[in-house]
Amino acid sequence: MATAPGAGTTAHGFGRLLVAVYGILAFAAIGRSAYQVATKLDEAPLAYLLSLLAAGVYAVATIALARGGRGRWRAVAWCAVAVEATGVIVVGTLSVVVPGLFDEATVWSAFGQGYGYVPLVLPFVGLWWLWHTRPGQHARVTSPDESTEAR
Amino acid sequence: MVLPLFVLAVALCAALAGWAAWFAARDRAVILRQLFAAGAVEAVLVVQAVVAGVLQAGGHEVDGPLFWGYLLTAALLLPIAAAWAFAERTRWSSVVLCVASLTVAFLQWRLWIVWGGS
Repeated sequence: MATAPGAGTTAHGFGRLLVAVYGILAFAAIGRSAYQVATKLDEAPLAYLLSLLAAGVYAVATIALARGGRGRWRAVAWCAVAVEATGVIVVGTLSVVVPGLFDEATVWSAFGQGYGYVPLVLPFVGLWWLWHTRPGQHARVTSPDESTEAR
Repeated sequence: MVLPLFVLAVALCAALAGWAAWFAARDRAVILRQLFAAGAVEAVLVVQAVVAGVLQAGGHEVDGPLFWGYLLTAALLLPIAAAWAFAERTRWSSVVLCVASLTVAFLQWRLWIVWGGS
């Protein structure tokens, strides 16, 4: 799937950057939370397991967006990105309003502060990109002369 | 004696990121010469791994999984960006190379802290 950039696919043009940033965040979050769960789960089980869950969702979103957002993968991408947006808002708000709820920082604490607020910005960029490349639209991203090839 | 290796890697990454950003601004895709520069960064990372391994064997206390995890991640980023540079012949390959370079530079800073900065 290295060809046919343009409408209906999430993996090309700007999407390449989105997948790259998602991949880096997913890898960083998985590495960090897996390390925390493996070495010091008893210190803050809720925070570390929540981080691991968030990391898993980032991984799913990365794969779904990299698959080009065709058919079922587009639905998976929508769900994963929506869960991230909800998670960072809900957990971010909770961590500020009820500071004692989590014993340690999670990926989403303080709206993703520990990850340079990337977790706050990324899902909304992802939502915009999924909407921008939705099937049936001529999303002029890299090559305006390409026709729609998604379902 | 390890500090110059980190400084060198960060300097190379910053230069590569700037080069890629300039290409992205000029609407150009990544060129082979930039991939050679990425190869130079990788070479520094390999030297870091060797030096770190020798010093660790010599008794330097470091959080092993954390340090090697960061170093391995740093080493993987530029090859992936390079592979995409072949698949994506638009300015976005330059943007991805820029982001990857900046991430490696950030990881170098983290590595320096994890190493204990001596």
